[in-house]
Amino acid sequence: MAETLKILTKNMGAANSTSLDAYMASGGYETLIDTLHKKSPDQVLEEVKKADLKGRGGAGFPAGIKWSFLPKGKERVKYLVCNADESEPGTFKDRLLMENDPHQILEGIILAGFATQAAGCFIYIRGEMYHVHKTLARAIEQAYAKGFLGENILGSGMDFHIWLARGAGAYICGEETALMESLEGKRGQPRLKPPFPAGYGVYGQPSNINNVETYANVPHIVKNGADWYKTIGSENTPGPRLFGISGHVKRPGVYELPAGIPLRELIYDHAGGILGDRPLKAVIPGGSSVPVLRADQIDVPMDLEGLKAEGSMLGSAGVIVMNDSVCMVRALKNLMEFYSHESCGQCTPCREGTHWLKLIVSRIEAGEGRDGDCDLILDVADNISFKTICPLGDAAAMPATSFVKQFRDEFEAHIREHRCTVPASRQTTAIG
Amino acid sequence: MPLIKIDDKEFEVPEGETVLRAALNHGIHIPYYCYHPSLSIAGQCRMCLVEVKGAPKLLTACSTRIGTVPDERKIDGRWDMVVETANEKVRKAQKGVLEFLLLNHPLDCPICDQAGECQLQEYAYSYGNASSRFDFDKLESPKRVDLGPNIVYDSERCIKCTRCIRFCREITGTQELTLVNRGAHARVGVFPGRVLDNPYAMNTVDICPVGALTSRSFRFKERVWFLSSANSVCPECSRGCSIRFDTYKGEVLRLVPRDNPNVNGPWMCDHGRLLSDRLKQRSLLDRPAVREGETWRHYTHESFWDAFRNKTSPFAEAMASDAAVILSGRMTCEELLASKALTDGLFGGMPGTMVRVESGEDDALLKRRDRRPNIKGAELLGFPIADSGTSAFDLLAGRKAALIVREDPLGDARENEKSKVKVALSGLDLLIVADEAFTETAEQADIFIPLAAWHEMEGTTVNFQGVVQKTARALVPPANRRTFWEIVPLWLESCGIEPPDVSYKYWFERFKDNVQALEGLQVRDLLPHGVRLEEVAS
Repeated sequence: MAETLKILTKNMGAANSTSLDAYMASGGYETLIDTLHKKSPDQVLEEVKKADLKGRGGAGFPAGIKWSFLPKGKERVKYLVCNADESEPGTFKDRLLMENDPHQILEGIILAGFATQAAGCFIYIRGEMYHVHKTLARAIEQAYAKGFLGENILGSGMDFHIWLARGAGAYICGEETALMESLEGKRGQPRLKPPFPAGYGVYGQPSNINNVETYANVPHIVKNGADWYKTIGSENTPGPRLFGISGHVKRPGVYELPAGIPLRELIYDHAGGILGDRPLKAVIPGGSSVPVLRADQIDVPMDLEGLKAEGSMLGSAGVIVMNDSVCMVRALKNLMEFYSHESCGQCTPCREGTHWLKLIVSRIEAGEGRDGDCDLILDVADNISFKTICPLGDAAAMPATSFVKQFRDEFEAHIREHRCTVPASRQTTAIG
Repeated sequence: MPLIKIDDKEFEVPEGETVLRAALNHGIHIPYYCYHPSLSIAGQCRMCLVEVKGAPKLLTACSTRIGTVPDERKIDGRWDMVVETANEKVRKAQKGVLEFLLLNHPLDCPICDQAGECQLQEYAYSYGNASSRFDFDKLESPKRVDLGPNIVYDSERCIKCTRCIRFCREITGTQELTLVNRGAHARVGVFPGRVLDNPYAMNTVDICPVGALTSRSFRFKERVWFLSSANSVCPECSRGCSIRFDTYKGEVLRLVPRDNPNVNGPWMCDHGRLLSDRLKQRSLLDRPAVREGETWRHYTHESFWDAFRNKTSPFAEAMASDAAVILSGRMTCEELLASKALTDGLFGGMPGTMVRVESGEDDALLKRRDRRPNIKGAELLGFPIADSGTSAFDLLAGRKAALIVREDPLGDARENEKSKVKVALSGLDLLIVADEAFTETAEQADIFIPLAAWHEMEGTTVNFQGVVQKTARALVPPANRRTFWEIVPLWLESCGIEPPDVSYKYWFERFKDNVQALEGLQVRDLLPHGVRLEEVAS
């Protein structure tokens, strides 16, 4: 069994872990001070590229490569954006980082700003996380006071600012371009791409957007080097990974572990096994949008390629565990209600398709399913998949498709018998 | 230039051209809703999905640009892009999108104004399924929302293409509209405290691909397939927007713009469009009339001209030497030329003078301060044009007789100037008014000759840019309302002067004689977009 790591979560649980003093006492900002005076932006960029830091928001795109899409130099005003709109069901790792160790994130952002020569960074935080926003705001204030932010940082000549903005609680504003629209004060809906943010981002300026956890990794890479970083985790997904595990496990929570550990180990060893010692039924391994796995698929390694090979995705590494008391139809109904509620409504397949999926699944769940409803779900989901402006449509279609494919018998039984056929179902779900 | 293959057609397109425009320009139809050539690309209806070879998923043709690729990346060593618009994958996507659009769309086509000119109907027929797989209740949402005084919104019919929203952002810059609510509950709304009432707002009704936005003036009036249409020119300002008069049973029911890149693009202003309403409110007199004391005696043209001669002969001298002839920029070029024959014969050879009728300012889009469509035509034909400051009063003061054609100086005068104009009119010994409506000025006249209205006559008009356009007869006027070029020969004949021809063709030829640049052109050359004089000249 792999030991839990103490890299990103090093300061968790320490007294006053959110304060600048505590962060600095544990060696925080040393990397920044060192870097500003001894390294060039390109050196930092190359190190992050070499570390193959994969984005932690869900898509797993290499952060260093993304940074290098920005135009070089300072000729054009460039922005960084920190996506702190964590709202994927089953995902709660960024919140932990912000709540407990905000300076680690700020240091990562400033280092990224150094590497990309950006003018500043917008942190866009989910509106519901009110107290977290206050923690972050205080940390930013402290960093300014200490000279880590502002003009001519530590005499290095680097100017860099961080602006904190609160969303209003829309899931769609976690999509990078919808976030930017919202940030600019507009209706939060995704932009048509191209142009991509690296060319046309916040306020039309070249922008780079990363997840909170991605930025939190940066100080450690810059401090310890890419080679060290790649000794952790798996080849395709290097580094530590925050797994948020919830649902029917005995010890739900966030676990920092090397990517690539088997899902079984995560559930049974770290999270203490299934609640009530009941049989495992299903696992959503990477946030509610990714395809669901059956109990017999949990030997899969928890990294990008391992889950891909199993037909699912690592996503945000938010693991939702469901035991045999869960009715899969009811669970899917819950998800479909979520996605139809959160669809922004601008493009047709997602706007109408998520609504339709919700109606069909709800009908089956209510015992009013009709013959052919399973195939209908699959076909409607197919008509949404890859046909929308942003991935929200796919995020709804993937669970719909996978639930029906993986648990078709259960869906068909609901339709045939006009009732829930899960013996142990207490009509509760692991989700929501 | 990139070489592209779309389905089985191969052609070169300009660098950066979109797949949709390239296809449409080459006769390949890709269905679309949210795309509009004059608006930004939204890519959100997803109807125009096509398969681009090498792309991992279907792409929207409206937003996919074509560029030259390096030789080693050319497809089959030849094409910069290969697109399929009708293969099985694309057809499924099109069907899927159409099915989605119809999920919550009420099938109230039998009472929908858009029926017959609805893109949703057309594509449902061409690309859709015969039956629906959606067996749930449709979402109910507001069906009669007043977005503004002239526009009613039906959110159930709306397919959220956002053309109207983009129009108000990008064309008028007024930004009244936005999408409100999310998901299947999304609909178009006005921002709090705003109304959709900009001078061009009703264009949103035209660009709405479905029946979601309807014109209060036209809604529930008539099924569109019963309308008769005539291509014409808007008479409401010197822009002279290319328009279409849609009529039914002798009534103009609506004016809609015709897309004319030379003049107005796809738009027209609401003032021009609502001419159809104002036409209904005018008082008309369909027969020529001669004042007898306080009353009018009405005639037909057969008997009118004797009475006319009797009434006017005592003033023949005044007409020849001391008369004001006021003409209008609402007269077609042919009518203006006919007026010259009249003034040469009976009004001492002095051509009539045009008054300027102006209001407001030129705006950035279409509307012109000069409210008359054919002032430029008059200028071209050498008619004297009064200065902006000169009113009808100045032209009439001290005269003994006057002929006023298609102008209503009394009706157009400001309240505080009306009495002044009235005094000038009553000081005349003889006032002849020829106009399409029985105006306030006509009420003061001794003789009234009814004329065919703008939409009831053929003619040529020149806008302020020098674009010569042709108006067509949308309706046939009653027998006694005629064009001025039909009146002039009757008038001259009644006074014993050999009349000129009375055919339209004759006067069009005279117009061409007067404008060298038009030499050799036929009437049909003026259709559908008109010709710009300096282009003809060069």
